[in-house]
Amino acid sequence: MEGIATTGMAARAAAPEGPWRLTLRRIRRDRLTLAAASLFAFIVFCSFAGGPIASAILGHSSTDQFPYAANDNYKPVGPWTRVSTASYIRADDYGDVLPPPKGTPTTLLVLGADSVLGRDELLRVLDGGRTSLEIALFAVFVSLLVGVPLGVLAGYFGGFTDTVVSRVTETIMAFPLILFLVFASVRLSDTLTPIGWGSVVPDGVFAVALLIGLFTWFYPARLVRAEMLTLRNAEFVDASRMVGASTWRIIRRHLLPHLVPGLLVWAAIAFAANILLEVGISFVGVGVQASTPTWGSMLSTTWGTIFAPRTYDPNSYTPWQTVIPTLAILLTVVALNQLSEGIRRALEPWSSR
Amino acid sequence: MKRMLSFFVRRLGAALFTLVTMITLTFVLFWLIPSEPASFVYPTAQHLTDYQLEHAHHLLGTDRPLVEQYGEYLWHLLRFDFGSQWGGAQLFENSKLTEVAIGPQLASAVPATLSIILGGALLVVLLAVPLGAISGRRIGSIGDRAIVLIALIGICTHPMVVGLILRTIFGNQLHWVAPGGYCQLTPDANAPCSGPVDWASHLVLPWITFALLFLALYTRMIRASVADTMHADYIRTARAKGAGETRVMTRHVLPNAGLRVLTMVGMEIGTAIGVCIYIEAAFGISGLGSMAVTALFGTVALDLPLILAVVVVITAIVVIGNLAVDLLSALIDPRAGDALRDKETKSLAGGVI
Repeated sequence: MEGIATTGMAARAAAPEGPWRLTLRRIRRDRLTLAAASLFAFIVFCSFAGGPIASAILGHSSTDQFPYAANDNYKPVGPWTRVSTASYIRADDYGDVLPPPKGTPTTLLVLGADSVLGRDELLRVLDGGRTSLEIALFAVFVSLLVGVPLGVLAGYFGGFTDTVVSRVTETIMAFPLILFLVFASVRLSDTLTPIGWGSVVPDGVFAVALLIGLFTWFYPARLVRAEMLTLRNAEFVDASRMVGASTWRIIRRHLLPHLVPGLLVWAAIAFAANILLEVGISFVGVGVQASTPTWGSMLSTTWGTIFAPRTYDPNSYTPWQTVIPTLAILLTVVALNQLSEGIRRALEPWSSR
Repeated sequence: MKRMLSFFVRRLGAALFTLVTMITLTFVLFWLIPSEPASFVYPTAQHLTDYQLEHAHHLLGTDRPLVEQYGEYLWHLLRFDFGSQWGGAQLFENSKLTEVAIGPQLASAVPATLSIILGGALLVVLLAVPLGAISGRRIGSIGDRAIVLIALIGICTHPMVVGLILRTIFGNQLHWVAPGGYCQLTPDANAPCSGPVDWASHLVLPWITFALLFLALYTRMIRASVADTMHADYIRTARAKGAGETRVMTRHVLPNAGLRVLTMVGMEIGTAIGVCIYIEAAFGISGLGSMAVTALFGTVALDLPLILAVVVVITAIVVIGNLAVDLLSALIDPRAGDALRDKETKSLAGGVI
């Protein structure tokens, strides 16, 4: 037993550790990053599995409406309230609201109700997380899919190609993204919105993700281009060219692996930024269909859209309507931010920032 | 000096190129997107007859070849006149068309938006420099962590929400400042409110909203730069010569961060205009952002001349701003030139809008 262990260690000492194992080891030692990673994993778990689980325990779904969960002023109830499951509000002849009939079962709203409609805020924030995370993830993939090839093209081949790609990138980068985004989402929503996959990928998720991705590809493009510019003159590239490797092979086998760390760091941050971008789109009043909650649409049901912003009225709103989705966004962004920092620290321990 | 001059000429050329490309691109794109200008001339008509269609197109000049229209548009722009919008066009005696000119609208919208951006940017600098310096001196300290976290909270709450909350609290409830609207800076006896005091009191909340969003990014950047420079040899030299802590900071460490901040500012101008869409909506200011929104979400059909005008003005602001930033950074550090620009990418705070 002892002998085997020693041999194993000797063998490991002989072969130098790969960069990925080294990175993983550094991350494992970094408690802050581990905490961030677990927090993010927890958020992902809650968003995808939490909704169905909580819904099974509580006995109602995120789309069920409880009219008795809002008062006369349309103010929804606060956290931990039991409300009647009566499907409509009874009123007497004078229009005054009567209590629900005796014997109607009640149900528990853990985080209160979301709006005058009286839907469960907890279930909505969980389901909304799923939609928001899906959008953010898809959008990252789309922008990688567009940005990486363009960056490689510009950085590796240089010359005229580089000039064209760089100018186009700079022009698009300089212009306010949201204008394009809004314009495109209004014009294309009819064609793109119906694309979905049942309840797993609700209608509109794909459309929003595609749009965000198509307007954020210049980040990876610039990142890849900068890295390519330094890498293409590296000795190992010359060496592989000398032994007769094709351009495609050099890019695929020798250059692309070098891009992965930088892109990973970027992806974590972009994931967070896309969640925030989705909030912005919700405030324009386009995006995912109203029946599907997202963190952005939860905020915009309270505060209105840019066409009809609402100021806060303490008689008809509770602070929870803002606090809960914001907190969800904050936790996710903080976790991703720390994760990105941690990955970068682990990849390049020598850089100080 | 000769190098400076050539740099200047090159940048000017690139700026002009961007501007013309953008104008042409939007012209072609927006003219390709179907819109029915005739419905602006006959806003009440349910169904337009062939004669009405032809007549309206003739009056608006949209029946001519696209090249001719493009030429005319460029000629308009050269005279700083943006032509007339389609919306609000009225038909008299079936042959005369009175159109609404775009120029005057822009003349009132651009100062409002620029006021928000410039004032907000000043506030960002005033806050981010000390915070970044405190944070960067001792990375990982409690103060540093707190500052980074607060900055992150600022980024996670959407400007629309922040704006409306501030407006509700300080405008509608406490009556400390005006709850919304815009007053021009120059005194005007006819306007309900004008002059520097009114101007500032109406803009304080928009400035704070603007600053909260960008604070995170700039604090982080200054923090990173300060942290990098703190260990530089010339800082040790300055200390050895007996320079006090404040002098080391203000004379040796912070100026080093200036260039990167400046480069970043150049790339964020577009983002800043995009954010103004939300800030203007939240505070009911009619600026460039709200103009863009009206243009894009016209109720009748797309008002292409208006969209075009807004796009051209925004592009012009972005291009001029970038040019100024480039020249400034070339003056500060002649070596910087293109190299720095290539390295930096628009911040992901841009993702928020």
